[in-house]
Amino acid sequence: MTLLPATTPAPDATAAPTDTHCPYCALQCAMTLTPSGAEPATAAADAGPSRRAAPEAGPRPALPLTVSGRTFPTNRGGLCKKGWTSAALLGSPDRILEPMARTEDGTFAPVSWDAALDRIADTLRRTRQRHGADAVGVFGGGGLTNEKAYQLGKFARVALGTSRIDYNGRFCMSSAAAAGTRAFGVDRGLPFPVEHLGRASTILMLGSNVAETMPPFIGHLEGARAAGGLFVVDPRRSATARLTDDGAGMHLQATPGSDLVLLLGLLHIVIAEKLVDADYVAERTVGFDDVRRSVSTWWPERVQSVTGVPTWQLRMLARRLADGRGSYILTGRGVEQHVDGTDTTTAAINLALVLGLVGTDGSGYGTLTGQGNGQGGREHGQKADQLPGYRKITDPAARAHVAGVWGIDPADLPGAGIPAVELLHSLGQPGGVRCLLVHGSNLVVSAPNADRVRAALATLDLLVVCDFFFSETAAMADLVLPVTQWAEEEGTMTNLEGRVLRRRRALDAPDGVRSELWILSELARRLESPSTFSTDSREVFDELARASEGGLADYSGISHDLLDTGRPVYWPFPSGSAGTPRLFHDRFAHADGRARIVPVTPRPSVHTPTDGHVRHRGDELHRTGTMTLITGRLLEHYQSGAQTRRVDELLAAQPEARAQLHPATAVRLGIADGAAIEVSNARGIVRCRASVTTGIRPDTVFLPFHFPADQRANLLTSDATDPISGMPEFKTAAVTVRPMEASA
Amino acid sequence: MIATIALRVVLVGFGPVGARLVEGLLPDVRSGAVRLTVVGAESVEAYNRVLVAEYAVGRADRDGMVVTDAAAAEAAGVRLALGVTVTAIDRARQTVTLSDGTVEAYDRVVLATGARANVPTLYGVDRPTPSRSAPARAAELLDTGTTPLPAGITVLRDLADAERVQEAVRKRRRIVVLGAGVLGLELALASAAEGADVCVVHHGEIPMARNLDRGGGLVLARALARAGVSVVAHSRAEGVGFRLTAEGTPTFDAVLCADGKSIAGDLLVLSCGVSARTELAHLAGLPVSTGILVDRRLRSWGDDAISAIGDCAHVVERPDAVGSGAFAVPPGAPSGLIGPGWRQADWLARSISAEAVSAAEPEPLADERAGVVMLKAEDVDVVAVGSAFPDPWDAEPIDVRNGRPARQVSQWADPEHGSYVKLVTRGGVLEGLVCIGMPRTAAELTLLFERGSELPADRSVLLRHDGPDATPASASAASAPEATVCWCNGVTVGHVHDSVRDGAETVACVSAATRAGTGCGGCKGRIAELLDLFASTDGTQEVVV
Repeated sequence: MTLLPATTPAPDATAAPTDTHCPYCALQCAMTLTPSGAEPATAAADAGPSRRAAPEAGPRPALPLTVSGRTFPTNRGGLCKKGWTSAALLGSPDRILEPMARTEDGTFAPVSWDAALDRIADTLRRTRQRHGADAVGVFGGGGLTNEKAYQLGKFARVALGTSRIDYNGRFCMSSAAAAGTRAFGVDRGLPFPVEHLGRASTILMLGSNVAETMPPFIGHLEGARAAGGLFVVDPRRSATARLTDDGAGMHLQATPGSDLVLLLGLLHIVIAEKLVDADYVAERTVGFDDVRRSVSTWWPERVQSVTGVPTWQLRMLARRLADGRGSYILTGRGVEQHVDGTDTTTAAINLALVLGLVGTDGSGYGTLTGQGNGQGGREHGQKADQLPGYRKITDPAARAHVAGVWGIDPADLPGAGIPAVELLHSLGQPGGVRCLLVHGSNLVVSAPNADRVRAALATLDLLVVCDFFFSETAAMADLVLPVTQWAEEEGTMTNLEGRVLRRRRALDAPDGVRSELWILSELARRLESPSTFSTDSREVFDELARASEGGLADYSGISHDLLDTGRPVYWPFPSGSAGTPRLFHDRFAHADGRARIVPVTPRPSVHTPTDGHVRHRGDELHRTGTMTLITGRLLEHYQSGAQTRRVDELLAAQPEARAQLHPATAVRLGIADGAAIEVSNARGIVRCRASVTTGIRPDTVFLPFHFPADQRANLLTSDATDPISGMPEFKTAAVTVRPMEASA
Repeated sequence: MIATIALRVVLVGFGPVGARLVEGLLPDVRSGAVRLTVVGAESVEAYNRVLVAEYAVGRADRDGMVVTDAAAAEAAGVRLALGVTVTAIDRARQTVTLSDGTVEAYDRVVLATGARANVPTLYGVDRPTPSRSAPARAAELLDTGTTPLPAGITVLRDLADAERVQEAVRKRRRIVVLGAGVLGLELALASAAEGADVCVVHHGEIPMARNLDRGGGLVLARALARAGVSVVAHSRAEGVGFRLTAEGTPTFDAVLCADGKSIAGDLLVLSCGVSARTELAHLAGLPVSTGILVDRRLRSWGDDAISAIGDCAHVVERPDAVGSGAFAVPPGAPSGLIGPGWRQADWLARSISAEAVSAAEPEPLADERAGVVMLKAEDVDVVAVGSAFPDPWDAEPIDVRNGRPARQVSQWADPEHGSYVKLVTRGGVLEGLVCIGMPRTAAELTLLFERGSELPADRSVLLRHDGPDATPASASAASAPEATVCWCNGVTVGHVHDSVRDGAETVACVSAATRAGTGCGGCKGRIAELLDLFASTDGTQEVVV
């Protein structure tokens, strides 16, 4: 049987191989797509041949394209399992090939594009007239190209006139972005090319499981591993933590939610042992004295008693980071997705600054962006409070500039909106959002306290979802609009280094499928919007470049043509410049050129929006009988799994959610490996299987968040948010675990 | 709502606990709801006293110990009076008198006067006798009365004491520490690590006798010896001998013990515990035991307008009979630990803040669990919590048990390798523990205690954190069929083995068949090793684990 539906146009057998990048994570591994029938591109020197049969997968179905790795600094020719199998989705039988409308009986029926777009435009116009512009909301995604992200932000502000736009990057990069901006004046995930990491002697990774989430990245850790200097902080003995085995470094198994204290303790040791780079601190930073005071109360033994990390590990790590042989500190979602995520990231930055690492040759600080365009997606206007170029929507000069590019009156631009969780809470509420457009996001699986979100989505007057498949969120929509996949479109992505990359079309989209640029243009026309909405990604990029000019993320010197030369292009790239592979070498982006060292302390309590109660963090986590739930990703799946669960090989390897439990806990609860269990709290119940492993703390349970229905980890996570970034508390939730009763 | 009349608060004492209270009250000071005056005897900014031993050996500097920002506090409107003391509290008029003669009116007084180091009775040393009826008028005489310690003898409590020790460490003098409590041992270990010749003299059988059981104490004694600290046990110090310096002043020469021993040295550090500074409260007619008696709302038993926190405060539920003055002095004492002091400061700041804006008072402070005692030293790991004195075979009298689950004691001792663990549990939850020489285990047990979590039924699980199997990466495990070879593609040893059986002979062939090595490429060496391994086992046998 073939997986190619008849509607997929036959690829042009004479077409040349197309150089592009992977559809998934922020490493954006370089790949070459070769139409089936044509000779596969010669694989990169250090990658294997392009097609392989995994032993368990059996013969592969014919695919419209073959994927091969391409030599590039980020992935050096390699790809992970997700990348190798990415072409499987192009011809997936699940693909939506024409607009679908919900019918009276709750099923979906095809409708014409005109009918679908007319109905959407009518409803949006009526809603705006009756309830105001802010009754229409837009929810974007970190997987959209720069062009789409930009156009979506413009569409919301100009065509809809709404301030109610935010995106799933709020669940991903917002804490790191807020901390980076606060400290450095600008937020670029890695302010240096990723290959610089290879020369480091010491790399500290906090809350990041790259070995599963972006595997080719671990090649950049080899230098530190060879030097015995890979330090991984994770409550789990994750695949990345295991990279420290055999003398390659050290795993610090801190208890969930204690990262901030751990970092304050490291800084305490650095100061106490006089490991501070005093010249750097004096010349390049402000605020050190306040921070010194704030960490004086976190001596190592006290830190041990909170984190569970013994003092000798803390001391060894602090000394190693300070040994002057090249040290990097990298943070990931494990430390950022907390109600104190911004402060925790700030503590990591403070440590890097006090050690004089940031902007120094051979050293640095960075955050590992998650989604494919998680970097670009947060720069060009999807965020509630931002305009293109990482500009503040509340800044009159920024409004004037962008309105000028768009040809509108700055006074017509709406003000700042509200962050994602707040936006979702407003759905269907009086004065809240009544119509929502969702692009590149699967909220029913990925949002915290997922059933609350699901219930809120059900109250909408209109839900429109653009997707390739009937994701769990699309399945709730009134209208689903089928859109192009990565190999079917042109555009740009900005990877975790702030390097802008070209995404290129390797084959035509199926007939009924459209690009978001076309959809937004059609809707804007029907809504009689001012300004223009080009459907051509090249034109949209040029407009983005102008809109970003003078902003923090200045793309004004970049064009598709420049990118097509293959030259490395890192922002900021003002017109006439050569771009910025390395930031902070001479100065930080604050007006005085100095970085801010901001004192942060653990806050004893959190505000839970669900019930309005203020309660002490830890109170509910550590009550007798409760365990701490932590969530994360698996090698085989990406985000909500809407894509990867539809790739046979990936689904076969990880078909369902399995909750990791420590053997001592499993024995206490009477749970065997593979047994059906319930993980529950007041927000919901997850039913899944247990996986018993010594790689987790006895008081902690891990769930991957890729799975649907009652395997959704986010049924249990809290929608309490960080007061600075709006990041929800994904990484700790109090749960109880029990064996599932035998069902009849 | 902002109160129109500010609540006048006088804080007496500007140590780390007082500083925490100031920090908690800053928003109310800024808003004008609270008018805060801070009276501190030391003329320096509040510093973290926990680090004083590290400072004494030159490991911490003063800047790194400061916990407050006096300038910021003053900018917020706090009035700081440093280098002065409070000499009297007039409860009837609600005023305090300062040693510089100023009189301050108050609505609330908070006593955070801390504790002073004890000076034991030693022949040759005049004990300082701070007057209970007339507090020192000069800050520097607060603890010494009119009789300073002789040359070559010091306690270790404040920065000036620490600087005396620092000089001896720097000059590689011989230091004798009298007393084997936590502070004395920390100082001894740190001094030894810095190269000083140091000797600890104590009268019991084991060090840290207040915190450790006999087994733990004996294991610690060996660890101290290994760390270069000589310990003289069973030695009751009775007196001090002096020698004359070149300038002709008598200075410490030796500790004279009851059994006739004489232990020579250049500096004697008295580390014999602390006593709360209660004289101001006593003088004001407030109930005092080993500390200033306060209830769980931290208010003095004798006056709701006066609170006490930190090392000077003894928190005990207030008996009904206080009014009449007829009540028994309760047992117990201030904990001497910083954690409870900070929690008290946090709670009191919330309480005062609530009062200032006429909001509801917070729930009374929860009972403190037993404090976690950790020895701050780099090469000796000691954690002790609660009472760890019972032995595994001790029966608990039924009336002591009092309907609670039975007490259980588990124990692990390996004196040869310096490790010792004792767990005292009730209903599976830790009541006390001792853990020596096993740092990760100690960290884990501390967490379990702090959270009141139930221990695994198989207690030995807890002992493995410091073992080599805690990192399951032995050579045999690495070639187990389920062990991952290629992280990028989730390829296991078993998959590689299958590909070899199907004819793959080179790394490139294995890569082609399994994708192993086609991500970051870091596992190619491993694949080559596996190919050798499978070749040596003929490629046909099952992988031997």
